[in-house]
Amino acid sequence: MVVGAGNPNPPAAPHVKALNCPGCGAALSLRSFTQAVTVVCDSCHSILDAQDPQLKILQQFKKATGEDPALIPLGTRGKIRGTPYEVVGFQRRTIHVEGIPYSWHEYVLFNPYKGFRYLTEYNGHWNDTATLRALPTLNPYARQVTVNYLGETYRHFQTAQASTTYVLGEFPWQVRVGEANEVTDYISPPRVLSSERSGKEITWSMGEYLSGRDLWKAFALPGEPPMPIGVYENQPSPFSANTKTIWTIFGAFLAFLLIMMVGFSASARDEQVFQGAYTFDTNSRGEASFVTDPFELKGHTSALELSTTTNVDNNWIYLNYALINQDTGQAYDFGREVSYYHGYDSDGSWTEGSRNDSVAIPSVPPGTYFLRVEPESDFAHGSIHYEVTAKRDVPQFSFFGIALLALLAPAALITWRSMNFEHLRWAESDHAPADSSSDSGGDDD
Amino acid sequence: MRNIYMIYGVIVLGLLGMAEYRGFSLASVNEVKNVPRSVRDNPGSYRSVYAVYHHYTGGK
Repeated sequence: MVVGAGNPNPPAAPHVKALNCPGCGAALSLRSFTQAVTVVCDSCHSILDAQDPQLKILQQFKKATGEDPALIPLGTRGKIRGTPYEVVGFQRRTIHVEGIPYSWHEYVLFNPYKGFRYLTEYNGHWNDTATLRALPTLNPYARQVTVNYLGETYRHFQTAQASTTYVLGEFPWQVRVGEANEVTDYISPPRVLSSERSGKEITWSMGEYLSGRDLWKAFALPGEPPMPIGVYENQPSPFSANTKTIWTIFGAFLAFLLIMMVGFSASARDEQVFQGAYTFDTNSRGEASFVTDPFELKGHTSALELSTTTNVDNNWIYLNYALINQDTGQAYDFGREVSYYHGYDSDGSWTEGSRNDSVAIPSVPPGTYFLRVEPESDFAHGSIHYEVTAKRDVPQFSFFGIALLALLAPAALITWRSMNFEHLRWAESDHAPADSSSDSGGDDD
Repeated sequence: MRNIYMIYGVIVLGLLGMAEYRGFSLASVNEVKNVPRSVRDNPGSYRSVYAVYHHYTGGK
């Protein structure tokens, strides 16, 4: 949507034809010359035939705008798509859905060379609308009715009876208060195709979503536009473009993650640096702790994986480990419990625990190390055999999983927000998801 | 949004690379400085911080 600024070169004011209302004598101004079909007197609310030199009164109505006035005063000028337009007419239209009235505003814009176009506003959502010169193609047999126009498919959104509830200014058609038309909207955000059926006549128009802030700037309107409420039918989703891009980037990151996984796995030395087999006599009351022979850890600082394999059977063993650097006296102190239980009960056989255990000691610098091992278990449970194996530079796949989740979380969040935006959009349509229709249309009685 | 996610992803992958290269681990390990050399001759003199661990002796 291209909206030009009203300044610094405001369009020249078109000549205004001065007339008087035959109903009340009030002065009328006719801005759209002979192109206006009806003009409404602001004083007595008479709808006059603008094509008649005597300005025949077509209808009089007593409704006032009340607390729902036009946000853009008649006579305001601004640029849309680089073309200057003047606001010459205003109408309020209303539909009733399940007994609840919903009203929107339509502004008639006029340019002597370009003719008429329209601005519509509902709950702070604006559309720049023009009538179509060609007919869209209807696809009534699609699962959801669609129309094609200029190669673009528009999905059916809503069909409703809209009645005109207030008019002011000039109109290029025979406007009447109370006049009802069947209005059908098809959307392809940020555009909407609307058909208005009046008898056998159908008028098609296309609207494009417009930011209220841009419109205020283009028409040099004072203050701020009303804040949009909710999600409008053809409001472009701020997430849809992001969602596709984010998943594309996620795919690239995932590929890089896999390359890193293969690279680290291939380059990891995964070198066994120590192995020892021991027996713990649980009947003995003597000192159980011992130290192993020293072993060398080479290369850069990396993890050391310590594995314990035991023969515990309905028993446990707890091993107090200390990996001690022989030269610096720095120790990595940790304990591991290995327990394995099994049995049979009314549910069948069961097992719990494992005879094996493995732990990665983080960031161990190179050097000469030995292990201090202190086994514990219940007293007098016989001998427990266990084997301790140490491996240097073993890849830690848990971090790849964490990184995958960390990369996935933002993509999933944006997708969820995008889906939620579409959910809110379609909740206002004739095709509302079941849960939203029950929310919005449920009768508490 | 795209740029923020790009920067975020690069940081995540950078941290992953560093974690893998430096051998980070999620294991809970207590680092103790200046363990006396005498521990080799008298292993029982070393007191592990995990020595007061309360063991699970259950099963189903």
